[in-house]
Amino acid sequence: MSADLLQVLASAGKGKGTRSLLRVIILALIAGAAVSSRLFSVIRFESIIHEFDPWFNFRATKYLVANGFYKFWDWFDDRTWHPLGRVTGGTLYPGLMVTSGVIYHALRALTIPVDIRNICVLLAPGFSGLTAIAAYLLTNEMTPSSSAGLLAALFVGIAPGYISRSVAGSYDNEAIAIFLLVFTFYLWIKALKQGSMLWGALCALFYGYMVASWGGYAFITCLLPLHAFVLICMGRYSTRLYVAYTTWYALGTLASMQIPFVGFLPVKTSEHMPALGIFGFLQLLAFLDYVRSAIPSRQFQTFLWLFAGATFGLGLLGLVIATSAGFIAPWSGRFYSLWDTGYAKIHIPIIASVSEHQPTAWPAFFFDLNMLIWLFPVGVYLCFQELADEHVFIVVYALFGSYFAGVMVRLMLTLTPVVCVAAAIAVSTLLDAYLNAKSPNPEEVQALESSEGKRAVKSGLRSTSKPVVGVYGLWGKGMVVGAMVVYLLVFVLHCTWVTSNAYSSPSVVLASRLPDGSQHIIDDYREAYQWLRQNTREDAKIMSWWDYGYQIGGMADRPTLVDNNTWNNTHIATVGKAMSSREEVSYPIMRQHEVDYVLVVFGGLLGYSGDDINKFLWMVRIAEGIWPDEVSERAFFTPRGEYRVDAEATETMKNSLMYKMSYYNYNNLFPPGQAVDRMRGARLPEVGPTLNTLEEAFTSENWIIRIYKVKDLDNLGRDHASAAAFDRGHKKKKATKKRGPRLLRVE
Amino acid sequence: MRSLISFFVFLFAAAVSALSTTGNRLLVILDDVVEKANYSKFLADLESRGFQLSFETPKSESLALFHLGERSYDHIIFFPTKTKGLGPKLTPNLLVDFLNAKGNLLVTLSSGVPTPNSLVSLLAELDIQLPAERTGLVVDHFNYDASSAADLHDVLLLPPPGPIRPDVKDFFAAGAPKDSLLAFPRGVGAVLGPGELLTPILRAPRTAYSYNPKEQAETVDELFAAGEQLALVSAFQARNSARLTLVGSAEMLQDKWFDAEVSQPSSGAGKKAAAAGKTFNREFAKRLSGWTFNEIGVLRVNWIEHHLDEPGAANQSNPAIYRIKKDVKYTISLSEHAWTAWTPFTLPSASDALQLEFSMLSPFHRLPLQPDPALSTDDAAAYSAAFRLPDQHGIFNFRVSYKRPLLSNVEEKNTVSVRHMAHDEWPRSYVISGAWPWIAGIGVTVAGWLAFCALWMFSAPVPAPGGAAGAARAETKKTQ
Repeated sequence: MSADLLQVLASAGKGKGTRSLLRVIILALIAGAAVSSRLFSVIRFESIIHEFDPWFNFRATKYLVANGFYKFWDWFDDRTWHPLGRVTGGTLYPGLMVTSGVIYHALRALTIPVDIRNICVLLAPGFSGLTAIAAYLLTNEMTPSSSAGLLAALFVGIAPGYISRSVAGSYDNEAIAIFLLVFTFYLWIKALKQGSMLWGALCALFYGYMVASWGGYAFITCLLPLHAFVLICMGRYSTRLYVAYTTWYALGTLASMQIPFVGFLPVKTSEHMPALGIFGFLQLLAFLDYVRSAIPSRQFQTFLWLFAGATFGLGLLGLVIATSAGFIAPWSGRFYSLWDTGYAKIHIPIIASVSEHQPTAWPAFFFDLNMLIWLFPVGVYLCFQELADEHVFIVVYALFGSYFAGVMVRLMLTLTPVVCVAAAIAVSTLLDAYLNAKSPNPEEVQALESSEGKRAVKSGLRSTSKPVVGVYGLWGKGMVVGAMVVYLLVFVLHCTWVTSNAYSSPSVVLASRLPDGSQHIIDDYREAYQWLRQNTREDAKIMSWWDYGYQIGGMADRPTLVDNNTWNNTHIATVGKAMSSREEVSYPIMRQHEVDYVLVVFGGLLGYSGDDINKFLWMVRIAEGIWPDEVSERAFFTPRGEYRVDAEATETMKNSLMYKMSYYNYNNLFPPGQAVDRMRGARLPEVGPTLNTLEEAFTSENWIIRIYKVKDLDNLGRDHASAAAFDRGHKKKKATKKRGPRLLRVE
Repeated sequence: MRSLISFFVFLFAAAVSALSTTGNRLLVILDDVVEKANYSKFLADLESRGFQLSFETPKSESLALFHLGERSYDHIIFFPTKTKGLGPKLTPNLLVDFLNAKGNLLVTLSSGVPTPNSLVSLLAELDIQLPAERTGLVVDHFNYDASSAADLHDVLLLPPPGPIRPDVKDFFAAGAPKDSLLAFPRGVGAVLGPGELLTPILRAPRTAYSYNPKEQAETVDELFAAGEQLALVSAFQARNSARLTLVGSAEMLQDKWFDAEVSQPSSGAGKKAAAAGKTFNREFAKRLSGWTFNEIGVLRVNWIEHHLDEPGAANQSNPAIYRIKKDVKYTISLSEHAWTAWTPFTLPSASDALQLEFSMLSPFHRLPLQPDPALSTDDAAAYSAAFRLPDQHGIFNFRVSYKRPLLSNVEEKNTVSVRHMAHDEWPRSYVISGAWPWIAGIGVTVAGWLAFCALWMFSAPVPAPGGAAGAARAETKKTQ
């Protein structure tokens, strides 16, 4: 009975049409799983934009939807980087906003009125479903086994390495860029395999979309030429390669130059030179190939190859000269830090200060990829086994992806797709081998072996002479398949757990647990931003560390001095200097920049680690980079080299504006002499700091956000210290008691 | 009809109350209300100019400078009081708050009466130092009134004070008859700090000095100050244009010194009293109180306008955003209050200039504003400047900062954004002659490609006899 049922089921899966139907259903389910596993944050909190950068993207999208594309293109944003302003339309990757805008208008045209915020929140999950399909297509190009593609789709769909940047609300460029990355690679493989101009043009089209979406497009720009170069070195030059590459390069470069932010970079900067070099090299090869086919002479052929090598070398030399002469911009700091992880820390503190630019810690690999990380080498090995053109691509991608992921946390994202593809190839090969119910016919095997010779059969153990053992035994197969299934289930568990616990926090809202286990929401950020929105002038300039610039712009709708688009190091250093100097030094800076309010994040009361005192050393370092004479990092450490905030803190530390703003009035919360900073576990001095040039305007419920108003110049022409002393009731010392020559009025 | 009457009543009320630009509620602080008889002429002058006087003693219960956070009075006059302090209603902090709320103070001192602590600390905050022990007396052995203080030499006779700098408007001596004299009886001199908010109106003569008559009656060993460093009447104007005037001698404002007969000492054995006549005190008191209570020397910005100055441009007023490298014009209209009416403001001297700054972090332009008669009216003068915006985008300020002694501060800031060139505002490529080779290159490439296609399509290999021969030759090769 059950056997019959199995038979029916098996036969149902046999037909070609049924199989494709099943495949479509499975893919749809995978896409659904990918989307739904990213919805934790929406369900737990609300439909809200997360973190920092997404707030800018959201604000830009709103501007786009409200003002139309051309206004967006020419957008001069006078509410950021006060007073410099930002040519926003020309300094962003518009792909994300335009995508959301198109979806918004398409839905409106279909008379489905959806709030633009919901589109932005759900864009990343939506595109993760597409990524799963793209991964399926890419993997299908690698192996004839269709199950590999489905597995790859599943892996990409739920791998935490990708989820970390694409949960609902994480409205960042990466949300669509990873789909574009994978899909561009698929199209490249397709073009390369078929030598098709159409696929090459499609590849260039999606490459253009990728350039419009994410700065990480340089990864494609370097990986495709590298793949081509490796193929050429392996002696696999072919007209297919020529057609695919030249089509992609010519059209793709033109497309990328249409983005104002990219402009002429593809012909000017070192990052883009490999692509150009390979393009030229391919032309040369094609020419030589033609000559070789026309003149069949062995010596001539070697000569030509030598000629090609010499030209390549000359080209490289010319590139070096052009770079050193300044025609081509040298590698930027961010790229140097890819080769030398210590470079940024010494030379460009602003890059090193960004948390996502830190080198990856090794547990992060397991955390983000789980079992895929050990299946990944197996997949790469299997690619080596076949080593067709497309497998070379996987090998090259795997090598470079791993390197970059090891250098920078953020680039884990670019590694994830290849890991998923390689792991899927490995798993599907394994499952194909072990799920194959067919065992070889003993007679046939016997015949095969006897044709090889009798020796082996005679000398072996008795058990080995029986064919239905080892690999073919049901027991062994069951063991392997069972183990694999357990691994896969654990993988799903792990992914869900990581997504739910590590990557679904909006970081705008903090969640904590009360003693009874219920969830308690700490909503200080939004409380403070709402206060700013309701209680300050519309053009009140807010000074804060750059981390909060986008949020203030997005949530409080107030102009900021610096924000997360860290394009102007000097301006950020100015803010760093204002924060790390004495009040007397900071005040003129704040006046010059027309600052009305200063916002600091303080975690001392709650034990919140991401506060400004913990980031303070970066402000000092960045300021020191510009004003080494005025700001010194050493002065913030005690003679014993400790970074302290208690009574032992250095005078520079205690007098710095940041310290004063963080701990102003904090003593009043505690009984005298018992003020404690819970974050740093430090007992604070009995007398708190005094502020003369600022006055406290707002402190949020849990003291996470503190906002200070910058006082105007004293109406009576006094300096702020004496004016504040007078307000506190201190009498002015009589000037006549002063020693020294009397100051005479001369007018 | 009724509305017409009420309109005239309103006009009249406006005319009366418009004498001071701040308001007409004037509080007079006296030790005893009967003392006001000494100042009757001065107070009557004030009342005739439209001020509503209220008299209070420092101890009064009903005295309150603020009611519900608003000023209860617009101006205060302090006459000398014998109390050591002024009580809780007039603490220095309250007086500072009063100044910060744009209230004006006229403080008078007297050498006979110790200055109250409250006023001493208030003046110390303004960087005005009074002699120690809260009393002092200014004497001058060369410029005294020979008729009333022939022995003590403590009634100083001075010419009305001119402007402290040549480029400052003359408020106090203008139009005074020649040889007119100011009497400064038994006054206290103050020493002013170096701040720019302080202006000495009346300085002691070079030969005057200040001493403490109680302790230094015999010898003056340590001099508080002497000569022109002693300010007898000084003015302070806060950043918000609130004014405080310190008059060293309250007696100067008393009836008996208004139009009193004075005579200067004979400076030499043979000569008679050099000059004798009536004092200029009454007119000086009027001008001094008029300045303090915002009747003169008050500047008003009527309007500010800036717009694109391009031919053919839509002349929108005060746009929030401009583009780089555009021509703009900025105009500011200023009036000056002269006792009863607003008059067009003219610069006090040719060496003075009203300047416009166009600044982001630092000024990109600093231009003199020129009078613009076309936009000026009977009560307002317009000044304008036209210039080209810098080639730098950002958030800029049109800034006029005109701060001169004795004139109220003009500090105007209009923020505009200056944007970059939009994508369609650049010259088209065919306009730029340098681009012609490239455009020609594109054309040649397109034409060449089309020609190549045509050539390719129409030059398919024809199975000509030559081809057949070739095939035959191959055949022969193979067979060989």
